[in-house]
Amino acid sequence: MKALVVDDSAVMRKVLIGALSRANITDVDQAADGAEAVQKVQENDYDIILLDWNMPNMLGIDALKAIRAMGKTMPIIMVTTEAEKSRVLEALKAGATNYVIKPFEPNTIIGKIQEVLSKAKAQ
Amino acid sequence: MQMKVENINPFIESVYDLFSTMLNAKVERKTVGIAKTANPRDIMALIGISGRVRGMVALAFPVSTALAMVSKLLGTEIKVIDDTVSDAIAEMVNIVAGGAKARMNKGDEPPLDLSLPTVVRGGDFSVEYPTNTVWLEINFDSELGPFVLRVTFESQKE
Repeated sequence: MKALVVDDSAVMRKVLIGALSRANITDVDQAADGAEAVQKVQENDYDIILLDWNMPNMLGIDALKAIRAMGKTMPIIMVTTEAEKSRVLEALKAGATNYVIKPFEPNTIIGKIQEVLSKAKAQ
Repeated sequence: MQMKVENINPFIESVYDLFSTMLNAKVERKTVGIAKTANPRDIMALIGISGRVRGMVALAFPVSTALAMVSKLLGTEIKVIDDTVSDAIAEMVNIVAGGAKARMNKGDEPPLDLSLPTVVRGGDFSVEYPTNTVWLEINFDSELGPFVLRVTFESQKE
């Protein structure tokens, strides 16, 4: 199981890597912006992506659209401070599998990771 | 000065959210007033908000509070102010501003936009806002130490 964590905050990436580890996912790549994420997705196969929205170079929402345009179907969870309903709907419409609003309790993100992976496995 | 209480409460609620979720620590709002000193603390993270209203939000900490908060966030003891601490408090102001702007969002209005956060370190800096607005200052005390939230806004419609 391989994951990609995308956030311009190194500390937040560390927090999310910790959550993935608690969901038994320890093979994790990191990207600091949307453009780097798209490049890594072109070069690697990931089973799950955790994706921030507000980042330099390329926003997470644009990276999400680019990744889905490649035909990639892995679960992508947006993990962002963008909490307005219109933002959530925009992300889901663009192909986000789930949406977690910062700040979050550790168990919330772990639960979402397990939930989307379980659904992906069942499909 | 275009500061309104309705614009302040969402930020206070966001601070409470941050502490109850990611920091798992008690926090209490203390005094609220007009900021009188240019530099309230040792390390400060700022973020801009634009759209229907335009403003800035800042979280400022003494070193001890910043270290305690980042240690709690990462679950490991951080002893010196370094890039990790700067990164973490930048993310905290991002989270506080993001939560507040969602609370300020009304109906079908387009969401406000956030800039990327900036961090200023050291005891010899001042922060001024290039309009005739003023900074409102909300002092907090917490299990992790005291800190200050500053907010300034001007309405684009006024």
